[in-house]
Amino acid sequence: MSRATIVFRRITVWTVLKWALALIVAAIAIFPIWWMINVVFALPGEPVSLNPRLWPSSLSAGIEKIRMIFMETEYLRAYGISVVYALLTIAGVLLIGSLAAFEFSLFDFPGRRLLFGIVMLSLMVPTAVTIIPTYLLTSRLGWLNTMQGLVVPGLASAFGLFMLVQFMRAIPKDMIEAARLDGANHLQIYWHVALPLCRNALVTLAILTFMQTWGNYMWPLVISTRPEMYTVGQVVGLFNSPLSHHTVDTVMTANLLAAVPPLLFFLIFQRKIVEGIAMSGTKG
Amino acid sequence: MAFLEISSLSKFFGNLCILDDIDLSIERGEFVVFVGPSGCGKSTLLRIISGLEEITSGTITIEGEVMNDIEPAKRGTAMVFQSYALYPHMTIFQNVSFGLRMARKPRDFIAERVRQVSSILQLDKLLDRRPAQLSGGQKQRVAIGRAIVREPRVFLFDEPLSNLDAELRVQMRAELMELHRRLGTTMIYVTHDQVEAMTLADKMVVMNGGRIQQAGAPLALYDDPDNRFVAGFVGSPRMNFLPARLAAAESQGVRLEGIGGFGTATLPLPGLAAAPGPVEIGVRPEHLHLLSDGADEEGLVLEGEVTLVEELGAESFVHMDLADGTHVTVRAGRGAARPAGRIRVRPDLSRALLFGSDGQRLRAGDGRKV
Repeated sequence: MSRATIVFRRITVWTVLKWALALIVAAIAIFPIWWMINVVFALPGEPVSLNPRLWPSSLSAGIEKIRMIFMETEYLRAYGISVVYALLTIAGVLLIGSLAAFEFSLFDFPGRRLLFGIVMLSLMVPTAVTIIPTYLLTSRLGWLNTMQGLVVPGLASAFGLFMLVQFMRAIPKDMIEAARLDGANHLQIYWHVALPLCRNALVTLAILTFMQTWGNYMWPLVISTRPEMYTVGQVVGLFNSPLSHHTVDTVMTANLLAAVPPLLFFLIFQRKIVEGIAMSGTKG
Repeated sequence: MAFLEISSLSKFFGNLCILDDIDLSIERGEFVVFVGPSGCGKSTLLRIISGLEEITSGTITIEGEVMNDIEPAKRGTAMVFQSYALYPHMTIFQNVSFGLRMARKPRDFIAERVRQVSSILQLDKLLDRRPAQLSGGQKQRVAIGRAIVREPRVFLFDEPLSNLDAELRVQMRAELMELHRRLGTTMIYVTHDQVEAMTLADKMVVMNGGRIQQAGAPLALYDDPDNRFVAGFVGSPRMNFLPARLAAAESQGVRLEGIGGFGTATLPLPGLAAAPGPVEIGVRPEHLHLLSDGADEEGLVLEGEVTLVEELGAESFVHMDLADGTHVTVRAGRGAARPAGRIRVRPDLSRALLFGSDGQRLRAGDGRKV
C-alpha cells in the first residue's frame, strides 16, 4: 500500500466535517477584520459601489487615509492617552493584585477567608451597577477629566487577584520558609521569591488587562468629557456616530488603527494567554 | 548547660497537643536524629528549633541564649527541607548565595564563600544551572550547600533523603556523615526511617505521640529499650513480642507461664518485684534459634507453622505463627527453613526483655508493680 493511500484512508467523513466547520468559524471570525483592511486599502467609494471587491486594491490610498487620520484629527493624542491609560492600569493592577495575592495565598491572618470572599463577591456585580457610585466618588475627588480619574478606579481588579491567588497557592510553603530562614523579610520574599515564580501569571494578567483597558469604552466615556482626555475608543465612537460627516472608509481606517494594538498583542502573546487562562482554571 | 537545651516544651495547635512536655539536651557537635512514626511531632520539634513554628510553653536555649522569640534567620540555624525548597527561577549560584545576599554581604565575600562551599559539595560545575536541570542527588547537595554557606551553629535536616532512590540514599547518608566529621557542627536530623537513624546518629531520639520515648546512643536503644514502643520501633525486622503471664517473681528471676499459649520459663531478672499478671516477652529475631528436627527439647521451645520465608542471600527471615496466633520472625541462615510446615525455635532467654501490661520495661532490680 502506498503512502498516499494510507493518508487517504485516514481521511474520514468526520475529519472532513470537522475541518469544514473549523474553516467556516475561522472565516466568520476573520471576515470583519479582512473587510476592514479591504475598505481601508481601496480607492474611495470602491467598497460601497454596486460591485464591491473582496481584496484591497490600492495601498497608497490606504496610507493616505492613515496619514489623514493621524495628522488631521485628534486621533494621535487619543492614542497617546489610551497607551498611558493602559500602561498605568497594567502596572497598578499587577502591583496591587500581586501584593494582595501574596498575602491571601501564602499567609494566614484573621478574617482572611471573609475578606477574600467579599472581594470575590464583587466579581458578580456588573459594572452597570457600580458605575454611578464610582463616578460620584471620582467626581467628588475632583478627578473628572484627569488621568488618575481614568486609571485609579480600575486598579483593584478582583479578577486579577483571583487569578494570581490561584497561581501563588501553587508555590510550595517550604520555599517561603526557606527564604525566611535565609533571612529574607516579608517584602524580600515577595520580591525575590513569590513574584518571579508567578511571572507567567503576571504576563497573562498584563495582557488581559491591556485588552480590557484598551477596549474599555464605558468608563472613559463617563469620566473624560473633555476632548483633550478622549481615549481611542471614544474617538472611534465619534467617527462612528450618526451625525459624523466622515465617509465609511475614514471610519474604517479609525477602526483598523484602534484594533491594531490588541491584535498585535494577541498575536505575539497568544500562547501565554491561553496557557495562563488554562492554568488559572485548573490549578485551583 | 548543654549547647542546645529544650525544657518543658509543649506545642498545641488549637486544642490538639502536638508536643507534650519535651526535655532534651544536645551537646555541641552532636549528630542527633529524631525518629518516630509519622505524626509523632518530630518535624514540629525541628521546626520549633528553627523558629518557623512558635512554642506554646517551655524554652529553647542555644549556647545559653533563650531562642523563644528570636527570628528564624537570627538563631544561627539552617534547614534542609525534604522538598529541597530550591528557588526554581534562580541559578545554583544564586540559590546558594541567597542568604548571604539577603544579609547584604560584600560581593567578593559571597563569591569566595560560594566557591568554598561548592568545592566541598562538588557543585563547582553546576553553579550556572537551574534546579530543574539537576538530578535529585545534586539538588540535595545544593540544598545542603545553601545551609552550609551561612555557617550556622546548628544544621536542621527534615527528612532530606526521602525523595531519593535507595542507592542514592545510602550514598548521601555516607556523604552526610563525612560532612559532619569535616564541619563538626551540631546536626539535628528528622527521619521516619529507623535504619537511617541508627546509621547516622550519635544520639537517637525516639518519639511517639508527641513525647520523647527514649533518647540515647542507637545501640543502647537497641539493646536496652525503656518501653515496648522503642523496642518495637528500633530494629528491622522488628522485635517479637510473646504474650505471657507472670506467675511469680522470685529472687533469681521471674517465672512466666503461657508463653505463646503454652510454654513456661524463668527469666533471669533478680530483684524484680512484680505482682502476677499479663506481661510480654520481647525477643529479637536474631535471638531465636531454629532447632533441627531431632534436637532435644530442654527449656523453652516454641513451635509454629511457617507462613513465609524471606531469602536475602546471606541470611533469611522465617515468619511463623505460634499456636495462640502470635506472629514471630526468626533470623536464620541461608536456606535454613522450608517454605512451609512446622518448625521449632528456642529463644535465648538471657537476651529476652520483659514488658509490663502498660508497655513499660521491667528490669532486674525494679521495684515497680506490674
